Amino acid sequence: MPDVQTSSPVVPSPGSRLWTAGASGGLAVLILLALAVYDPAHAAPLIGGALLVAVTTWLVANQRPVMPEGNEDSDGGTRDETRPAGQIALLEEVFETVSDPLLVVRGGEPDDMAGRRVVLANRAARDLLRIPREGAILVSVLRDPTLLEAVDEALFGGVSRETNFDSGGVQARHWRAMTRPLPASATETLALVRLRDETDVRRMELMRVDFLANASHELRTPLASLSGFIETLKGHAREDSVARDRFLDIMAAQAERMSRLVADLLSLSRIELNEHVPPSGHLDLGRATTDVVDALSVLTQQQGVEIAVAAPDDAVRIRGERDEIVQVIQNLIDNAIKYSPRDGRIEVDIRTGLSPAEAAASRMTGAARLPLLTPDRGEDLTYAAVTVRDHGPGMSREHLPRLTERFYRVEGQKSGERPGTGLGLAIVKHIVNRHRGGLVVESIPGEGAAFTAFFPLSNRTAVTEPLTV
Amino acid sequence: MNQHTVKSYGDELNQLTAIVARMGGLAEAQVADAIESVARRDVALARAVVERDARLDALHADIEKKAIRLIALRQPVASDLRKTLSAMKLAVDLERTGDLARNISKRALILAEGEPMLPLTRSIERMGKLVSNRLRDVLDAYTASDVDRAMGVWTSDDEVDEHYNSLFRELLTYMMGDPRTITACTHLLFMAKNLERIGDHATNIAETIHYEITGGDMIGERPRWTPTPSDSDVMAADDPLRPQES
Repeated sequence: MPDVQTSSPVVPSPGSRLWTAGASGGLAVLILLALAVYDPAHAAPLIGGALLVAVTTWLVANQRPVMPEGNEDSDGGTRDETRPAGQIALLEEVFETVSDPLLVVRGGEPDDMAGRRVVLANRAARDLLRIPREGAILVSVLRDPTLLEAVDEALFGGVSRETNFDSGGVQARHWRAMTRPLPASATETLALVRLRDETDVRRMELMRVDFLANASHELRTPLASLSGFIETLKGHAREDSVARDRFLDIMAAQAERMSRLVADLLSLSRIELNEHVPPSGHLDLGRATTDVVDALSVLTQQQGVEIAVAAPDDAVRIRGERDEIVQVIQNLIDNAIKYSPRDGRIEVDIRTGLSPAEAAASRMTGAARLPLLTPDRGEDLTYAAVTVRDHGPGMSREHLPRLTERFYRVEGQKSGERPGTGLGLAIVKHIVNRHRGGLVVESIPGEGAAFTAFFPLSNRTAVTEPLTV
Repeated sequence: MNQHTVKSYGDELNQLTAIVARMGGLAEAQVADAIESVARRDVALARAVVERDARLDALHADIEKKAIRLIALRQPVASDLRKTLSAMKLAVDLERTGDLARNISKRALILAEGEPMLPLTRSIERMGKLVSNRLRDVLDAYTASDVDRAMGVWTSDDEVDEHYNSLFRELLTYMMGDPRTITACTHLLFMAKNLERIGDHATNIAETIHYEITGGDMIGERPRWTPTPSDSDVMAADDPLRPQES
């Protein structure tokens, strides 16, 4: 529309109210002034009237910039005429790049639920809600009843509201949802839904509660035994050097256990806090595994355990934080060593290019098998899996669901001289979840257990994935 | 999408699906809130869940009325008929889900009067999260008409059963250890049973979705674990209570 662009924005369009109000007001003033000149006897009231008309006209004309704003938002036609095309593209770009999910919802009939549709959704909203296309039925993308009610109130009651909204999934996120009505036109009502991510705040709160509960509960036992020994050392064991040395050894072991517990709890809290943040690094799963095996070589020699690693020749590149992946492999192999008999054998197996079903498939025939973590469906990703298999005592079926529970211990099993903190597998599960992966356990009592962790392969070449993620 | 010659016919079908999705959202929230009311000992939330159940009943009645009206006036055939019938079937499953959630909240009200039983309510919470995730998955599959996703829920039902069995053992251990906890543990046991039933309803919904989209029945047996002789001593205790397939 070249003629629209060349015309000055100061000149009102022919149909505008400014034109008519200005013209008619000016005409009336002219007539009144002419009358005053023609009839000087009544000049005073006539000039007063002319002034009044002039002031009114000016007021009406000045209302113009305020009035049409309502039309501008809801009516595309007006916007096209008053805003240059470049500015619209810019506004659209801004709308798209806002990191908060934004949705514009159209009303329809109040009793027709299928009439409420998403008119506009920015990129963040499309990613979050997996909206297949514009014009999706609102209730098919957002089912949360409180939020739907708030949208209804905005659409039909004209009320702005704030509610909480949890988007489910394995990496659950908490949102603050703000709904407000948009200026309505005669044919349809519109409402804006804006979501703000409050996951960090909520996780922080939860973490503090959990940490306090776990720490106070789990530290109580070693602390009680420490103070018991101190009491004894102050009392009748004061002069008994043999007993004193033995007690001090036990106390040192307890203190060491406490510090390991605190370290594990802290690392678990940190991982949980970041669980919804996708990892940014890339690494080679095979290299990470051999590094861990090398680092554990002292321990394996002590225990007389042999670790056999089977990995593909090519690098297995996955998306992940190196330190965290190393911790996963280390915890899994550590567990395997703990439960392996002397001169036992541990097999570590790396496979790549798997679908989620292949990655989670059974590796031990006839074993009880349970997925401890399954990644969300919906994305077409290929996975790399690492399986750690030991030939220890194994676990019976009923223990499997509780393995990743904090401080859960399979009864009647001694984990050797180096008892763990009971947090190892919980940490593994949370790290794997942060990496959008999965975890499967299989076990046959008396024959051993196999843990498989799988992670999405790094897909740097994919078009849909921006490199900055 | 196939176009209907009479526009309001398509509208009516869409509306039916939309009400089912809305009802699904409500049932989802009821289950999630019921679990939260147990985990946080939140009496107000538990009461709210009990009260809100009436709305699920109202939606159920509404869906039934609209579906019958549609069948009577439009005589739908093929995929439209399946859509209409599935809406009615889903409404029944969702209504039952809501009832079970209400029952959990009622028990939460009783539990809130006694001593907190932290490790046990945590186990309930964990199982509840698993069940809510399945419910969410299957409803997502419904709104997206995604058969694969529905099948994924259908094939993974044994996870819930595993959790149920594990929780059952945990509760037994508690009750044997301290008979004073029997009342509370029994309530928790019923909660676990209710959650397990909700999981079964999610499976039913998955079957209905499969029927709606493909027109066929689910083929083959659902992968299930059957006790082997070596497990029989373990299972002897809870055999009479094993979840019976509906």
